[in-house]
Amino acid sequence: MAFVSVPVYGRNLRDKYGLEASKCTSCGFINFPSKGSCRRCSNTEGFTKVNLSGKGTIYSYTIIGAGSAPPEFSAQQKASGSYAVGIVELDEGPRIVAQLIGCDPEKLKIGLRVEAVFRKIYEEEGVVIYGSKFRCLSKKQ
Amino acid sequence: MLTSYRAKGQVYHGCLWVLKRLAAIVGAGQTRFGDHPDLSVKELFAEAYREALGSVDKGLDAKKIKALYVGTLGVGGYQIGNVSAALADHVGLRDVAAFRVENACASSSFALLSAVQGILSSQYDVVLVAGVEKMRDMSSDRAKYWLGVSGDTEYERLAGMTFAGHYAIMATRYMHEHSVDKKYLSMIAVKNHYNGSLNPKAQFQKAISLEEALKAPSLAYPLNLYDACPTSDGASVLIVVKAELAKKFTDTPVYVTGFGAGSDTLALHDREDLTGLRATRMAADQAYQLARIKSGDIDFAEVHDCFTIAEIMAYEDLGFAKRGKGWLLADDGSTKLSGRIPVNPSGGLKAKGHPIGATGAAQTYEIFHQLRGTADNPSRQVKGAEMGLSHNVGGSGATATVFIYQR
Repeated sequence: MAFVSVPVYGRNLRDKYGLEASKCTSCGFINFPSKGSCRRCSNTEGFTKVNLSGKGTIYSYTIIGAGSAPPEFSAQQKASGSYAVGIVELDEGPRIVAQLIGCDPEKLKIGLRVEAVFRKIYEEEGVVIYGSKFRCLSKKQ
Repeated sequence: MLTSYRAKGQVYHGCLWVLKRLAAIVGAGQTRFGDHPDLSVKELFAEAYREALGSVDKGLDAKKIKALYVGTLGVGGYQIGNVSAALADHVGLRDVAAFRVENACASSSFALLSAVQGILSSQYDVVLVAGVEKMRDMSSDRAKYWLGVSGDTEYERLAGMTFAGHYAIMATRYMHEHSVDKKYLSMIAVKNHYNGSLNPKAQFQKAISLEEALKAPSLAYPLNLYDACPTSDGASVLIVVKAELAKKFTDTPVYVTGFGAGSDTLALHDREDLTGLRATRMAADQAYQLARIKSGDIDFAEVHDCFTIAEIMAYEDLGFAKRGKGWLLADDGSTKLSGRIPVNPSGGLKAKGHPIGATGAAQTYEIFHQLRGTADNPSRQVKGAEMGLSHNVGGSGATATVFIYQR
């Protein structure tokens, strides 16, 4: 059952594939994901594109338990069980929601360092949907 | 002192206070929430409608009803368009302007808000507010699909987030910032299950122990099955009239004396703070200001406890506790039926059930009876209640309403 249609998904591919953010020319705030207005000053036009580093820290998280995933993630959950979803605070400031991978669920905690990696999200309408997940880093990174 | 005058419902024209009677509720009905495999959406609505009409003490000719405001998400897509006209048609309401109001889980409280505005505009004297939802007769995949439609669809949905996941992420952050143990969340479930055990219209009429609440299977860490409301079928109906006309219908109307609404970003990652709901604070500020009261004047409340953490955040956002201290009310018994400020005497969404569109008007149904002293079970009647509050949230806090009611 498709939820986010392929055309809808495709409209902001550069945000999702390249972590492309919009810097407000009015107040300088870095907006990610891009939307119709600046989160800080509500300016609706005048943005320059900047690519984010993809590094950040876990701001909050959850672990989606077995059997409770949305239908498009049922296949993933059947294959690998419960999965972690977090809100990551990127080093440039914006926060983004994404799956957290490569982290020991028992050791997950707020403040851990993570970096974006390009991954398959799921398949729908016969198309593979890619996007970012975040991988836990060792302390030094 | 002034507060105590207001609490007695006294009116001081041109003097200290004028009790602001914005509209009156003179009748209310609600189906039991839960499984109704034998009833359609229309039949659920009709059952609540008949009860509401029958509850008007001095009677009401249905021909006097001039507008119908229906709150529903329309789970399953049974009637996406013109659902309000379909419901009016089913019960023979031929002379109504029919509206559908949709704000996810807050749909029927926004319907009530629109109804009060319709009355305040002087266009209508007598209107009907309804909430309906049928969630139980579809496959679990389909149900889960529909549960996700009210959050951010472009990013949260693509991360595999669930409705429980949203509140779990808020709970993780809340517990981190305020150093709170999970057991205080479970105490909310224990309280609301106890209240539900006394409510003949609740989906779960069974008390649970703290041990049971703590060891249930994980849904979205740190939340488990007992931290979550169920999916439900149900309907609720309110009869709302112009305040000046209320006594024509009953000697004991319940007046709406304040209301407010707020909104916020859909996506949690766009919010500065995840330990409370800005939309609730906006709505509460407006409602308190309109009713000229403070949070301390409230005798009891029905709040939006779709997940246990939501009730704790509501304590803080509504001003019943300071920020970061809401969990203490779960611990000290303040919000139990016998406490200082009983919260969710009905059992809340947690135990009474949560048929999405029906929840807001059902909160008002509960307050209507509590303020009139006519709770269906005397053992859950809040003693001497004069002023009640209802709080209804859409999705993960993108919309919210707060209403104040007085006798």
